[in-house]
Amino acid sequence: GGAMSFLKRFLPPAEGVRHQQPDTEAVLAGRSLGAGTLYIAESRLSWLENSGVGFSLDYPTISLHAVSRDLNAYPWEHLYVMVNAKFEEETKEAPMTEGEEEEDSDDDVEPIAEFRFVPSDKSALEAMFTAMCECQALHPDPDDEDSDNDYEGEEYDVEAHELEQGDIPTFYTYEEGLSHLTAEGQATLERLEGMLAQSVSSQYNMAGVRTEDSIREFEDGMEVDIAPVVAGQFEDAEVDH
Amino acid sequence: MEVSHSVKERTIAENSLVILLQGLRGHVATVDLRDESTATGRVTNVDAFMNMRLAEVTFTDRQGAVSRLDELFVTGRNVRYVHIPDEVDIRATIEQQLQAIHRVRYFGGRDKGRKEFPRAKPK
Repeated sequence: GGAMSFLKRFLPPAEGVRHQQPDTEAVLAGRSLGAGTLYIAESRLSWLENSGVGFSLDYPTISLHAVSRDLNAYPWEHLYVMVNAKFEEETKEAPMTEGEEEEDSDDDVEPIAEFRFVPSDKSALEAMFTAMCECQALHPDPDDEDSDNDYEGEEYDVEAHELEQGDIPTFYTYEEGLSHLTAEGQATLERLEGMLAQSVSSQYNMAGVRTEDSIREFEDGMEVDIAPVVAGQFEDAEVDH
Repeated sequence: MEVSHSVKERTIAENSLVILLQGLRGHVATVDLRDESTATGRVTNVDAFMNMRLAEVTFTDRQGAVSRLDELFVTGRNVRYVHIPDEVDIRATIEQQLQAIHRVRYFGGRDKGRKEFPRAKPK
């Protein structure tokens, strides 16, 4: 019953699904939306009722998520998800507590919607929670003014500078390191880098991973000495930076 | 001491006070959230974006209702304050975290992140 106009028909996500939980009830502000499947995908969180309609939530709008087993607070164990957005159910049909009514009139208060996903299989809650943590971490806050996102080159610069001092750790260039690998080792390296390149978001350049973009950078060459060593040589070294 | 496997995250942590929060792993702390709710629990992880994961949480929502949550993940954006527990020595915590990062940088992480090979130094 009720107008649930934010429910739409769509296909479940095909890619990047970290966890999928069938037979999961979705509840918004205390009102059940029915039984369906929860898809915890890297791009967004989706829930599809068995009839084929559902909704998606974008990770940047999710403030927090949690596993709730406190039956005093809510009678079934569930995954709690708090979203920074308004959904129609909140203002129309859902019963309002006194607190909510007061806050609705306050312009400064952000909209909040509370979802609960209640799986019939309670033992899945851990996996659901963890999958959400992983996906959430893929969507850092774009509005964050404090963080300087231009860190790709910085750690290299610090160490390249220190190399000039002569008495600190050096490392293989990519080519030198490659030449020390057997053919099998090289094949393994390529496979692993391929996997890493696919899974790392395009914002990041992980050190040592050659993707199409980073190959150009490496070919400039870092000025390093080529000398293999036993780790542990430097236990007592003093490193300045 | 656990340090991120990501070069970028280590660099961010090293250059901000997130490094202090990362040192709170294992401690019970209270986090005030942006929507005025609070969560008190044991810190199990903090990443470079200040996303925080807590266990055994007492959660007080913005209306004052109290409940327990087994595990909670709050996004960095929604963290307003983190109360540093009294038993935590702030300076020592920061120093330990920095040392952990430098160990990873110079002697290699276990399998991920950068691998560096120190040059043999004749003594």
